[in-house]
Amino acid sequence: MTRGQSVEKILVPFKSVPDPYAGAAASTSKSVINPFDEIAIEEALRIRERGEAAEIVGVTIGAPAVDEQIRAALAMGVDRAIRIDDSRALDPYAVARILRALVEKEAPQVVIMGKQAVDDDSNQVGQMLAGLLGWPQATFVSKIEFLDNKTRARCTRETDGGLEVVAIDLPSIITTDLRLNEPRYVSLPGLMKARRKSIEVLTCEQLGVTVRPMTTTLSTSSPTRRAAGTRVGSVEELMAKLKQEAKVL
Amino acid sequence: MDFAWSDQQRELLDAVGRFASQQLNYNVIENDRDGVFNHDAWKKCGDFGIHGLPVPTEYGGLGMDPLTTVAALERLGYACKDNGLLFSINAHMWTAIIPILANGTEAQKKKYLPGLCNGTLIGGNAMSEPNSGSDAFSLSTTAVKKGSKYILNGSKIFVTNGPIADLLVVFVTMDKARGADGLCAFVVEKDSPGLDVSKKIEKMGVRTSPMAEVFFADCEVPEENLLGKEGAGSFMFTKSMTWERGCILASAVGSMQRLLETSIRYAKERRQGGQSIGKFQRVADKIVNMKLRVQSARHMLYHCAWLRGQREPVYMEAAMAKLHISDCWVKCCEDAIQIRGGYGYMVEYEVERELRDAIGSRLYSGTSEIQRSIIASWLGV
Repeated sequence: MTRGQSVEKILVPFKSVPDPYAGAAASTSKSVINPFDEIAIEEALRIRERGEAAEIVGVTIGAPAVDEQIRAALAMGVDRAIRIDDSRALDPYAVARILRALVEKEAPQVVIMGKQAVDDDSNQVGQMLAGLLGWPQATFVSKIEFLDNKTRARCTRETDGGLEVVAIDLPSIITTDLRLNEPRYVSLPGLMKARRKSIEVLTCEQLGVTVRPMTTTLSTSSPTRRAAGTRVGSVEELMAKLKQEAKVL
Repeated sequence: MDFAWSDQQRELLDAVGRFASQQLNYNVIENDRDGVFNHDAWKKCGDFGIHGLPVPTEYGGLGMDPLTTVAALERLGYACKDNGLLFSINAHMWTAIIPILANGTEAQKKKYLPGLCNGTLIGGNAMSEPNSGSDAFSLSTTAVKKGSKYILNGSKIFVTNGPIADLLVVFVTMDKARGADGLCAFVVEKDSPGLDVSKKIEKMGVRTSPMAEVFFADCEVPEENLLGKEGAGSFMFTKSMTWERGCILASAVGSMQRLLETSIRYAKERRQGGQSIGKFQRVADKIVNMKLRVQSARHMLYHCAWLRGQREPVYMEAAMAKLHISDCWVKCCEDAIQIRGGYGYMVEYEVERELRDAIGSRLYSGTSEIQRSIIASWLGV
């Protein structure tokens, strides 16, 4: 692999998730780019704007409905996008295997992606992808700098104990923490430009991957509603209830 | 007749709503109280692409048709609560960008429009004078040609964006005896010698939009800054004023929609006498009236913009839209306050500000009485 002044290609896998800010009362289930992935897109764009990367390729897996989120990524400034046409609910291992095939096809020097998706909170795809490829990884990253003529990356990781700084060889997988950056908003000129960019559609078959869901969701349920409170007449009544009914005293 | 938006229009409108609700609604109460213009939000609107919506792409705009443009501004008004910022944007678009786009030379368009579209240049318009308001063409500010320059003398009042403008479209007379036929217009840059801008004028509403008086004392303007031809001023003014009337209240329709929705929520949540106040018919009636106003205002806005897109004359439609929307806006604000009772009168509830912001809409771009005169004259009476 040749190393020029800039990284030739950054691949940004992203997931379409139900809008986490829509609120429970929202009547329509609007989808958005997973916020952690949006941070990954923003970071890739900043790297390119610093002149440290030449091309940013976005990829997502889903039915044609996710084209809306793909267009949002293109409108932010991603150069081109690929949709792997598969409408099944895939578990992280299947997603990582599909992405491995795509990484082998596209040959990026860096893959930047969210540390987790806010819908299932699995936090596994980045790590599995690194394992499958045999690439180094830096997870929960809050700062990225390239070193040694873009052959290595210095990443600051957010850990429970504080900050950890690691250097990894490229090509590598980087997963983003919340504090890496604040993503830009889609501008109208960006939206217009995105309409002229193409979305390449591939299938698992074309990538030579056979995946099947290995996890079955049996049920989902909302948290049980808390019973309404009651008003007590006096401190004595409250103490009695705490002792006899709640049995906490 | 097709009332549906295309997918592309819907995508654009959603982007405007998301942008405005996330980026523009901070310090609105404080900025209103202190009369502070939000430069940062202005810059964001420029980067986002608002100012250049109707401007062809070769001049840095987005090349949107009039209907899509007003729908985008309506969505902006729905999602952004800073009516003063929106008023400054509207003044910039309809009274600076549009006259330059419609009447400017190629050199003027190339020089000014890209900056005006991306918000790095702020535009304004100087027409009204202390003794020339509704009698718009009775201007006293004069221009005299002297060599390769024009020398301007006089003063202008109610200049929106005056304190922050980089350039003003200024209407003056070259021959008072010729009345409307003696008018012409100039693009006057802010550091022109002899140009003086007063300090900010305090206003009742749209307080975050700065307004000033402007004085010309032997103010020198290079001849290449003449906009259109000598004597064509009244024609240009009427044309750009028609744009302005038809579009300036697009954001007001969005504001009304927001007031309607928040009022419905309040009427459902607020309980008195053991039931939601919305169950009281006198409250529900107010909400029904608000709905009727939003709907009729929106249809007049869209129809006028659609006609313009068809290149039909809209002199009467623009006057009707302006008259009707401004009236609906003020009444919606009054109802929104009345539904909230004493809370509506409190600054924190953010509806008293809307009323103060709305009242000016019956005055600027021609008073409601002038709009009625225009409509009456088009009806032949």
